[in-house]
Amino acid sequence: MTTAGASAQAAIAALTAAADDPDAYVAEWKQRTGRKAFGVFPMNFPAEIVHAGGALPVLLQENREPDSLGRNLLAEFYCGYTRNIADQAAKGTLAGYDGFFLADHCTQLLGAVDVVRSEVPDTPVYFGQLPTSLTDSWTPERARLMMRSFVDEMERLRGEPVTDAELAHSIAVFNENRRLLRELFAARRAGNAALSSSQVQALVKSSMVMDKQVHSVLLREVIDGLAQVPRDGRIRLHLSGHLCHAPRPELLATIEECGALVVDDDLFTGRRYIATDVDEQGDPVAALAQRYLDRDATLPCPTRVKHESDWEDELVRAVESSGAEGVIVLMVRFCEPHMLYYPELRKRLNERGIPHLLLETEHEGLPVETVQTRVEALLERIRRTSATHRTLEVTR
Amino acid sequence: MTAAATDKLSRLAINKAGGTMVADYWEDVFLARERGQKVVWYNGSALNPIFQAAGMAWCHGEAFSARLAAQHLEGPAQLAGSEYGYVGELCSYARTHLGCAVLSQKRSAGSGNGPGMVGLPEQEELASRLPTPDVFVNAYAGCSTGQQWDDISFRVFGKDVPIFNVSMPFLWSNRPGEGYMVGEEWETSSRYVADQLRELIPFLESITGRPFDWDAYRQNMAYIKKASELRQEAMKLCRHLPAPATFWDWIGNVAHINFLPANQQLVDFYTAVLAEVKQRVADGEGSVTSERYRVYFDGFMNWNHLGLLSRKFASHDVAVVAGRYTHHAFWQEPQLIDPDGDPLLGQAQNNLLCPMNHSTRTIQDLVLRDSEFYGVDGIVFHSTRTCRAFTNPQRIIAKAAHEKAGLATMFFEGDIADASFYKDEILESRLAAMLEGIDVRRARA
Repeated sequence: MTTAGASAQAAIAALTAAADDPDAYVAEWKQRTGRKAFGVFPMNFPAEIVHAGGALPVLLQENREPDSLGRNLLAEFYCGYTRNIADQAAKGTLAGYDGFFLADHCTQLLGAVDVVRSEVPDTPVYFGQLPTSLTDSWTPERARLMMRSFVDEMERLRGEPVTDAELAHSIAVFNENRRLLRELFAARRAGNAALSSSQVQALVKSSMVMDKQVHSVLLREVIDGLAQVPRDGRIRLHLSGHLCHAPRPELLATIEECGALVVDDDLFTGRRYIATDVDEQGDPVAALAQRYLDRDATLPCPTRVKHESDWEDELVRAVESSGAEGVIVLMVRFCEPHMLYYPELRKRLNERGIPHLLLETEHEGLPVETVQTRVEALLERIRRTSATHRTLEVTR
Repeated sequence: MTAAATDKLSRLAINKAGGTMVADYWEDVFLARERGQKVVWYNGSALNPIFQAAGMAWCHGEAFSARLAAQHLEGPAQLAGSEYGYVGELCSYARTHLGCAVLSQKRSAGSGNGPGMVGLPEQEELASRLPTPDVFVNAYAGCSTGQQWDDISFRVFGKDVPIFNVSMPFLWSNRPGEGYMVGEEWETSSRYVADQLRELIPFLESITGRPFDWDAYRQNMAYIKKASELRQEAMKLCRHLPAPATFWDWIGNVAHINFLPANQQLVDFYTAVLAEVKQRVADGEGSVTSERYRVYFDGFMNWNHLGLLSRKFASHDVAVVAGRYTHHAFWQEPQLIDPDGDPLLGQAQNNLLCPMNHSTRTIQDLVLRDSEFYGVDGIVFHSTRTCRAFTNPQRIIAKAAHEKAGLATMFFEGDIADASFYKDEILESRLAAMLEGIDVRRARA
């Protein structure tokens, strides 16, 4: 292994460690820096603002613990993420944060955040509701006002102003981090199979948790030392969906162990998180608002209403661009926007003859045997129908 | 349920006549196309006084889903939704209504291949009678699914039908001093929604091709205001022992205040409701003939089991005197309506005061305030499987009801429009246990 290769492996290990245990990372960071950390709920809060305020924004992750105390506070028919957040609040895991920010109007998430408010009563929880219908004439101004309110709140919590220069700096730092991650995604899409999907997830997840500048340094090491590994004969898949939080790495590993290679995704803990940058010129608050409005055009989201862009179109475009032979839709059980939108995806994939499979996920329990059987059936179907794949096998 | 148990329930007689009004309304909607009226599909907030003044026919999606479920006719619509790809854990109002959209579309395209199940074609007849929309208007407070649902309806109809979205802020109360109808959040949210409603008017004019009738709208709002005042007065009289009417009676006439035309007939109806309730108070007549317990109902209505639930509680001598669904929705703050001033502001404010559109703290205050006003022994929580918006604060409220007010509480599982989630024996045993607990507490006192 080259020196660069060894550095890349070490960087991946460091990033994976932060992704695996965000609580430990945050505790260590706070102790080391003496600064504040704020918990951020998915998916649209502009974390740049917290960073500009000199604090660590941490996109709160689902943890590995079985839910127990939280089950008394939120019903069992909520998505795994929200139930787990309620559980973390009930168990005191969130006590280390100095405040929380929420920008998304999701019914289940609001329920969970209200549990946080109840269980961590002395910690501020700020909700600024970004408008979800994106093309109305009043939406841009409303979005701008909300972004301004986040800055005002950060100033209140910090006890001093957050300047435009600080915001501009944070925007540049975040853009750079997204750009580096996109570089890795582009390499994967173009045919480099060096990273497993679990590793790719760890890179994104750690970005949601870690100090962005430190994260970018490590990402550069990953990029510089990344081996060129050509795709082998495994079936190429696109993973779609799984909003708000990451699917279990074991699930990704199971999919790959069945003989698949993930070549692209539109997961939240994936391409969705890094798809859209903020304009670095002009008024930073206006730029953050504009990025919010642009996100749905870059990668349409079923939680937003914007009729000029359709998720199914983007999905087909992405599948064609990466050479994926099939799609696995990962749906978080009880996720209503995804449940509502799924038939539209299914319809389009069927129209285009793209084989696909719907897998629902839960916080607890991964039915490995069932997943294997279903994924293997999908792969077999692709093998039988994909002329491209047959050609590849013959020539190999 | 035995005959004796059924006899313990004495429903408001006026609701029977009210049922005819509702049936007539829907017949009228089904024939809107024949009259050349434009049809609007809407969800969430009661914007019907606006549609009425615009000369349109209005179909409230949730109301139609509820009606199908209450008549046990929801099957074909839910089956159509399921075949289209909607997962069974999705809001059953949305699933049912989207199933109706699929069926209505088939019907209008003349390709109604009904389900091959005995009885279902006849049921499908009603589900598919909803006239296809000329326009969608969405103004959904509290629940994020509401806006997404109409967006999907828009897509089911091929993105060919115009849609207007009113964004409704959730009343979270970030700052001290913000809460139910108070604080800066309330003021700014009210204005924000009223301004959007003002934008809705020219949009509707562009659909109907004629000027909006502001005089008619003011008159509509005056009728709504009066009807609501009468309803509120009647509901408050249920504080009396025995309760002259119950939650089930208020469910029985909720459609009227929610979406029937605003007119003198509506006012007359609630005048008659109030008169009957007053008469019962004067006569000492209770809605439950042998009331021994009174409870508050927190949760969305379980439309599939309305009759069964009302009889079950009565059979245990339980008067369900009030509920979050009936008492904190449907123009419950009529004093905010100013027909001669800015009626759109009062409309916006009442629309914002949806019982799902507040943070847990506010809802807890409202529920505990009601519990005290009506002197209840306990709270029954309907853990509404596919309505997370209504279920959100329930566990925390239950805890507070215990700790702060010493109230007995119980949960039962069910749903708004999907009968399969209801477990009768679980409700039965938990209700019996709660009532025993109340007996023990009384004996100790």
